[in-house]
Amino acid sequence: MNTHKPIETVLEALLNGDEPGDLNALAAAASDDPKLAAKVREELEFSEMLRQAVHNDAPIASNDLLLRVGQAPQTEAELFDLACDGNHSSYDLNRVARYLEDNPDRLADLRVRMMEDEWLRQAVSASKSEESFIEALETRMWAETTQDHFVEDFSVRLEEEIAAQDPEETGILDFPGAWSKAALELTAVAAAVAITAFMVVVFATGSNEEEGAVLAQMSKVSSDALWSADSPLTDGSSFRSGTYELETGLVSLRFPNGNEMTVQGPAIFELESDHSAVVHSGLAVARAEAKDMGFTLRSKGLSISEPGKMIGIDARSSLSTEALVFDGDAGVCLDDSGKCREIYQFEAVRADNNSDQLLDVPYNPRAFEKAWALVAGVENNLGDVSIEMPGTEIQPTKGISGRVQVYVEKESFEPEQDLEVDQISVGKFADAVVNPGQALQAGGKLTSYLLQLWPEGKVTDNGEEVEASLTFDQPVVGVIFSSERLASSDAAVGTSISHIGVEEISGRGLDSGNDWILLSEDRRTVNLRLKGGKAQLDQVRVLVASQ
Amino acid sequence: MFVEQVREHHAGLRGFVRSLGVDPLWVDDVAQEAFIVAYNRLSEFDHERDFGAWLRGIARNLVINERRKNARRKRILSDNLTDVLLSTTSVPEEEEEELGDRGLAKMNALRECIKGLPEKSLGMLKARYEEDHSAQDIAEKFEMNPPAVRKALERVRTSLRKCMDERLQLSGA
Repeated sequence: MNTHKPIETVLEALLNGDEPGDLNALAAAASDDPKLAAKVREELEFSEMLRQAVHNDAPIASNDLLLRVGQAPQTEAELFDLACDGNHSSYDLNRVARYLEDNPDRLADLRVRMMEDEWLRQAVSASKSEESFIEALETRMWAETTQDHFVEDFSVRLEEEIAAQDPEETGILDFPGAWSKAALELTAVAAAVAITAFMVVVFATGSNEEEGAVLAQMSKVSSDALWSADSPLTDGSSFRSGTYELETGLVSLRFPNGNEMTVQGPAIFELESDHSAVVHSGLAVARAEAKDMGFTLRSKGLSISEPGKMIGIDARSSLSTEALVFDGDAGVCLDDSGKCREIYQFEAVRADNNSDQLLDVPYNPRAFEKAWALVAGVENNLGDVSIEMPGTEIQPTKGISGRVQVYVEKESFEPEQDLEVDQISVGKFADAVVNPGQALQAGGKLTSYLLQLWPEGKVTDNGEEVEASLTFDQPVVGVIFSSERLASSDAAVGTSISHIGVEEISGRGLDSGNDWILLSEDRRTVNLRLKGGKAQLDQVRVLVASQ
Repeated sequence: MFVEQVREHHAGLRGFVRSLGVDPLWVDDVAQEAFIVAYNRLSEFDHERDFGAWLRGIARNLVINERRKNARRKRILSDNLTDVLLSTTSVPEEEEEELGDRGLAKMNALRECIKGLPEKSLGMLKARYEEDHSAQDIAEKFEMNPPAVRKALERVRTSLRKCMDERLQLSGA
């Protein structure tokens, strides 16, 4: 018993609430001596009973020790497994550390083993992929550095890679003969998305809450969309309550109450009702039309609900989930804890899996670009075109050189009075010149897009033209490209985001006489060939019929 | 471009960070922080040096700093374990370069090797490394006992390591 005296002193101190000293030594000794282990167990159990009788908290150290006594791993392989396995305690790790101190020649082996574990995670897990890592790094760069060169680096690289894809795969509308395909680059959305029959929706009768009833119909899908074999799609376009796995691509679902949800694969999501879904992994954007119900997106750790506009959830990481508000206000709740708070337009929060707090993070919707292009209804783009995310400021004096930027100005609105738009003949590539204009009668719902080319840089340096083509998912009912009509329509159909510096631009429309515009015969595609002079901003407003 | 450096070195750096006893859940966070520090200090980088080794030095310092944080904010599994693991990274420098060097090539080779795994082995590997299940959980899923799962995973790792090395040798040749 004398040999145990120091150990018993440690145990006594532990039970008395004094500084216990070397708990590791006690645990190690107990694991080697069953009698001592039994004694420790009994004393701790009794101590715990006494403690619970007067208190509610559990003594973590004691429980930890109790759990481990008598079942500690003995071999090196077991110890290494402990260090790499997620199921370990501080006691386990201290045993590993002690083993390595005694066997320093084994250190390198454990480090290699841990590194290989990390590589295997990167190799098999989408959330650990290079793309996910760079995207997360990009967000942190954006938030934590005062410069954004890296972000621009990344964008350029992404576009170069996409441009390298085979244009034959895209199935995009042919251009008039004068267009040089070699001059065109494919944007991210154009490479991925094609419109399917839109809004031809026949919903099953009966309550949506009934098991088996059709909850939603597929309204749009990208050409690269691929479902897992066991996703319960009955006829390829009807969605009932259940879990679906989208391996690649994008899909939009439309619910009979007007709500919409767009999912970007790889994603696993579960439809619960016409106003709620669980996103187990992947990205999703929800737009609520049902004013009374809104839409709720849930995922690991949090849920986000909103009364009427647009929200997004990013559940690609196994470590955390992010929620963003693109439009309107939303309520965000942490699962289990019941902690809730409101977030507002252009705000984002993150829930870490190992934390019980909602963290404010910078609003950076870049991850949602592909989904947003599908939601925004501007797809199949050719040329250097970017669909700007909600919240992006329109900056006529500081655009991206040589790129046609598309801003969704105002969605599903009814103009209060007739609008004056420019005359354009469908199917003819014509000069965008001064014209008498025509009236677009008020009454129907419209969505307004502002297309902008900021000409500084390559256009003015070498005189190159910028060519672009945009296909909308609804018919174009009016185009405004003259400076005066752009200015006069700003108030009625323009964005609520301020046009910083626009008043300093003399001719913001296609007034130079060098610009061409074509509206396709089906009124879905706008082709542009723009050649701005120095400081010659080019803007075109496209008005599209809305549901 | 900086992003090229990220693509080239992230896999090796993340492996290196993990090998210092950083919690697997925080490995990417620490690695990203190392890249951000590197980005902010690019002007200090000696272009004669290996960028990957420079990054690993930054990451090593970040991990050392973790030990000074209070327990709740620590991104390492155990102070004691990290102390021991760090002790091997100070000398010799060659060893440090080896652990995480050629990360991109190794990762590409590893991915190819994984493609050749039998279905059950692949399933177990994904359960462990994609779904983060413990050996105990995997045992239940595959109706095996936990020691058998650990043994099977060890065999898979050994075969993948061998395959990866062979592929690297071939590509090197």
